[in-house]
Amino acid sequence: MITDPTFSQRPKLILVLAPIRSLLRKPLLSLGVLMGLCLCAGVRAEALDPPANRVLRIASSTAETTLDPVGIQDLYSAKLASVLFEGVLTYDYLARPAKLVPLLAERMPDITDGGKTWIIHLKKNIRFAPDPAFKGKDRTVQASDLAFTLYRLLDPALHSPFSFLLEGKLLGLDELAKRARESKQPYDYKAKIPGIEVIDEWTLRLRLNAPDANFGHALAQPNLGVIAPEVVAFYGEQIGSHPVGTGPYFVKRWVRGSAMTLDRNPHYRPRPWDFDAGKDPASVKVVEEMRGKMIPAIPRIEIKIIPEAQSAWLAFRRGETDLIDLPSKLSPVALSHGKLNPDLVKQGIQHEIAVEPEIIGNYLNLQDPMVGGMDPAHIALRRAILMSSDDEAMIRVIRKGQAVRLSYPVPPGVLGHDAKYKSMLPYDPVAANALLDGYGFKRAADGFRRQPDGSPLVVRYWRTNEGESRDMEELAKRGIDQLHIRFEGHAVPFPDLLKAERSCQVMMRQFAWIADYPDGDDFMQLFYGPNIHANNVFCFQDAEWDRLYQESVALGPGEKRDQLYQKMARMVEMYGVMKISHARLHHELLQAKVMGFHISTIASVAEWPYLDLR
Amino acid sequence: MAAYFFQRLLQMIPTLFGVILLVFLLFNWVGGDPAYVLAGKFSNPEDIANIRRQLGLDQPLYIQFGIFLRQVLTFDYGLSWSTQEPVSHIFLTRLGPSIALLLPMLILETLIGIAIALAVAYVRDSWIDRALTLTTTAAMSISLLIYIIVGQYFFAFVLGWFPVQGWANHGQSWVRYAVLPILLGLAVSIAPAIRLYRTFILEEMGQDYVRTARAKGLSEMRVMLVHVLRNASIPIITNVLSSLPGLLIGAFLLERFFSIPGIGREVIMAVERSDFPVIKAITVSVAIATMVFNLLADLAYQWVDPRVKLS
Repeated sequence: MITDPTFSQRPKLILVLAPIRSLLRKPLLSLGVLMGLCLCAGVRAEALDPPANRVLRIASSTAETTLDPVGIQDLYSAKLASVLFEGVLTYDYLARPAKLVPLLAERMPDITDGGKTWIIHLKKNIRFAPDPAFKGKDRTVQASDLAFTLYRLLDPALHSPFSFLLEGKLLGLDELAKRARESKQPYDYKAKIPGIEVIDEWTLRLRLNAPDANFGHALAQPNLGVIAPEVVAFYGEQIGSHPVGTGPYFVKRWVRGSAMTLDRNPHYRPRPWDFDAGKDPASVKVVEEMRGKMIPAIPRIEIKIIPEAQSAWLAFRRGETDLIDLPSKLSPVALSHGKLNPDLVKQGIQHEIAVEPEIIGNYLNLQDPMVGGMDPAHIALRRAILMSSDDEAMIRVIRKGQAVRLSYPVPPGVLGHDAKYKSMLPYDPVAANALLDGYGFKRAADGFRRQPDGSPLVVRYWRTNEGESRDMEELAKRGIDQLHIRFEGHAVPFPDLLKAERSCQVMMRQFAWIADYPDGDDFMQLFYGPNIHANNVFCFQDAEWDRLYQESVALGPGEKRDQLYQKMARMVEMYGVMKISHARLHHELLQAKVMGFHISTIASVAEWPYLDLR
Repeated sequence: MAAYFFQRLLQMIPTLFGVILLVFLLFNWVGGDPAYVLAGKFSNPEDIANIRRQLGLDQPLYIQFGIFLRQVLTFDYGLSWSTQEPVSHIFLTRLGPSIALLLPMLILETLIGIAIALAVAYVRDSWIDRALTLTTTAAMSISLLIYIIVGQYFFAFVLGWFPVQGWANHGQSWVRYAVLPILLGLAVSIAPAIRLYRTFILEEMGQDYVRTARAKGLSEMRVMLVHVLRNASIPIITNVLSSLPGLLIGAFLLERFFSIPGIGREVIMAVERSDFPVIKAITVSVAIATMVFNLLADLAYQWVDPRVKLS
């Protein structure tokens, strides 16, 4: 029996080689044939490659990790996934605050049963990008693909960092994952569960454990970009190197961690560029520019990984790249008082600015033996410590002025933000000292304060080994010194810091959280009691706060939820859990030829398909 | 010769075992628990335990060490924890750009270094020799980072002679991108090479056989290029071969600033991402390469100078 698959090809190979051999005997003729072939190849390459002025060139400071949607946890890989894959829903390009709109779905899901049942109707004839995994077939997206994608996010073997999007949400899905984990058997993708039900080729019914107003955000994340089961089977554990989706682009060439070329997906159904500008003048300008165009307009995107800020800046200035996300260390070179330098304006460089959807600030651990506890003295101690944080200095010195002061736990641009909220924890060392004096934290002979019972009082500030966190520690020390409290800096590798934080061992640290989805819930869940040993790094647990949070989850965005959020934000300050300090500014510079740019409402969704080049 | 070769190979086994053990212990004690990084922002203790189980981190240390040992012996380090790319594939695809950058640099550095060292040794204590000593000392005092930042700004950005950054893409010639990084790397490495080779050559020039050669009436060219250079080549070969394992770790800064997809940049990324399989593979490979090239240097001695007896 012949098992060598190339065996049957051999006679054909001999037939092909025969004329080549005869050509080799005639050198001049061979040369002519070779030249002809090269010429044809050149003409073909020209026909395939778009002209240079139709190529968008992008620089990224970080390299991608994987392009398997479920495995992605960094922003740059998520951005790439957002143009290669499509989810059921997405965000309106221009709407602020964020607004969900259908993408693969024909319309917004039908929500019934008090919010517990979601019926998704998929558009028909949406085609995956061509790939050898489909064995030459033209493959359209079906409801079973969406079901497979949802199942896959909770596959224990894949340990998706974004499994939280569905954890505890769909009836029976967690149990299925738990069964696989405990039995150490493969996860059963064919098991029928009540939470995910394929009704017909284009319709999927989802049943939730409880009403969840934010479930739509989960369906809009790049991690739930629809993938075909046969592609996953075909590429196996190398699926992260072979992204095949329905997005506007596909990967043409890829040098891992260095460069990537994305070409327009030949199977993509072009969408009209049709967005409502609202009253925002910048959006109005974008709409004017892009009227009548289709998505995607640019045939090719070339991405280069340029980790060094100087190299990225010089490459942009030389016109080697078209977009640059300005690193804060370069802001003094490109900006003065937050505005683009005149020489850059003269060159036609465009400048877009937005507040990152994030919160940054110092926190204290409520279970720490030194500063934790819910007794009035320790609440006062924490509030005094947080009042020693000089946020203006933080913005001026560390962020080089490229940040805005915040005090609300939900940042601007995210549903639930309150621009009018006034913090009760200003930077006020005098008031902080008075508070400590009032609660019995007296200074001993050595000049340092003691606990009310006379035991030692030391603030231990945790940080990683990076340069910027060293500066933050220096600033924190300056504040604590003003309170006459002993200060200890504690630098550890990042994994150790995470481990200590998850086990409630970190006393104080600067914490940052960037929106995974543009809803206040993504921020408020940080303080939820049951999330201790997970995201609740403050180890804060309060029955009343938890009750308010549960109420807010069921409510969804709106005035009622905003009122709850205000109460919850005040409690976070009142108990001295965290002092929200600032959010960084995102400056994007663009060459004059780039049209249609508006910084995305969520960092994990790329703007590239919405752009065009003059 | 064969006996010496096999004896040295046998000696490598305990050394390699020591390196593997050291790397393993360092990563386990200093590196922290990578499961917390891999688990992502929303992880809970159950997720972390699941990842530890899948990576084998919940196994006793001796089993983990056994797995590591097997990986080294089979050259199969599994998949990168952060990118899921096979570590062997990372090595194979990133080594090319690093070698394309460093090999020409090493060859040019050696040839130019020897030529200049011979010339200045010949005119020892002249103003040319003193000027060169001064220049090389100054050149050695400046950090590579300064050369890169200034060189990139001036030659690529201001003069526009080279691309600011990048590497050959689909059929482009890598020469276009490699020239500036090679020249900047050379500017840094050439000065110590000249100083070192000058010392080797001067040492040989003071030997009796040189005086004898001159007394025999041989031309100065023949004395320098045949007699002196041949004897000075033993320490030069040692120096060149000992720098060859460096090709495996690439030129971190050059690759990073010029966005060259080499192994040096990969090492930095792996460290930033706590990607231990990649770091471990590179560390052990560099150790093996160092031992192999040391052995090759010893064998080369006899090839250059048959009087050398390997025992």
